[in-house]
Amino acid sequence: MKFKTFLQRTAIAFSLMLAATGVLAAPLSYQLRVDGLACPFCAYGIEKKLNAIEGVERVETNIKDGAVIVIMQDGFTLDEATARKAVKEAGFSLRKLEPAQSVPNAGPR
Amino acid sequence: MKTLIKTGLSILCVWAGTAWGAPITFNTALPVHEGGYVLREQFIYMKIADDPTPAQRDMRVSGVMSVLGYGVTSDFALFGMLPWFNKRLDMTMGGEALTRRESGVGDLTVLGRYTAFQRDTPGRTLRIAPFLGVKAPTGEEDARDGFGRLPPAVQPGSGSWDALGGAVVTWQTLDLQIDGQAGYQASREAKGFQPGNVLRIDASLQYRLWPRNLGADVPAFLYGVLEASLAHSARDRIGGADDPNSGGTTLSITPGLQYVTRKWIVEAGIQIPLNQHLNGTALRNDYVITTGFRINF
Repeated sequence: MKFKTFLQRTAIAFSLMLAATGVLAAPLSYQLRVDGLACPFCAYGIEKKLNAIEGVERVETNIKDGAVIVIMQDGFTLDEATARKAVKEAGFSLRKLEPAQSVPNAGPR
Repeated sequence: MKTLIKTGLSILCVWAGTAWGAPITFNTALPVHEGGYVLREQFIYMKIADDPTPAQRDMRVSGVMSVLGYGVTSDFALFGMLPWFNKRLDMTMGGEALTRRESGVGDLTVLGRYTAFQRDTPGRTLRIAPFLGVKAPTGEEDARDGFGRLPPAVQPGSGSWDALGGAVVTWQTLDLQIDGQAGYQASREAKGFQPGNVLRIDASLQYRLWPRNLGADVPAFLYGVLEASLAHSARDRIGGADDPNSGGTTLSITPGLQYVTRKWIVEAGIQIPLNQHLNGTALRNDYVITTGFRINF
């Protein structure tokens, strides 16, 4: 094996290993299905409550689908109980929380 | 004559308590998020005339209603409502025209609203919220001019502690919103005058005119609004006796527009009486113009 090929393969293997351990993974994001959300003025309360959760980078709402994407800062995760509480405080109901990207089995921080 | 103010100004004072993409002339059951505030400023201009008597009374009222709502919890919200009025009454007496006018802060109303029923589904919500409030006599109710004490209709305040209550139901979808409300205000006597109690039934339809199709974000909504209000006022009592020239029933409609964003709403409507069955020589509402804004924070 040529040295150049060896370096390329080593680099690829190392990258795959880092990705598998989450070191190179993109920030975690979650999709929340929110029931009862039907107007822009109401979306503000949900976004405000979710943005107040520690580690939340930003929140994006798709009112048509009743979906709210929560993007976390590096190293933070969001659990369903915390999301449910925030949505409830905004006056609405959380139907489902699901990872928008692969999420390791880590608890909330 | 207090009746003419009572039914007309109920748009401004007692029932305009809340915020959201919501009715212009009355309440909604949509939530105030916990720990959050909603500020509403509502500007009105009202003309009341059509006096069948030789006095040719003509009343104009302009005012601002400031409403601050606070979400104590997601189910329970408190509202404080404080009006400012500029009232002017033109009339003829003894063949001479005279004007009586007064301006100032009116009565403070504090209202609690509790969401007793809530059913949320994707893109829809159905809520029922009873409310209960009290009106405190914070406004001047003994204002005078060169002719003596102003009539109750021209006073900024009522002088009495009054109670009000009712319930509002809201059904909201992405395309439209329907609200209905039944409310009752019981007034007490102050300085020998007791306004008749008022029963109101309201309905509102808000339909999204723009955007016609929703994208993958939160666009601002332009709603077309059509509201109807049926208000019945009992006769006023003066010195313990019924005033035969007061009280009656008014059916009004309010077409309007609302532009709703995440943070704020601007709106305008004009309330037009369709049918008025008023007692004696009670004055008739001509119209009420209302505009305003609401801010979420």
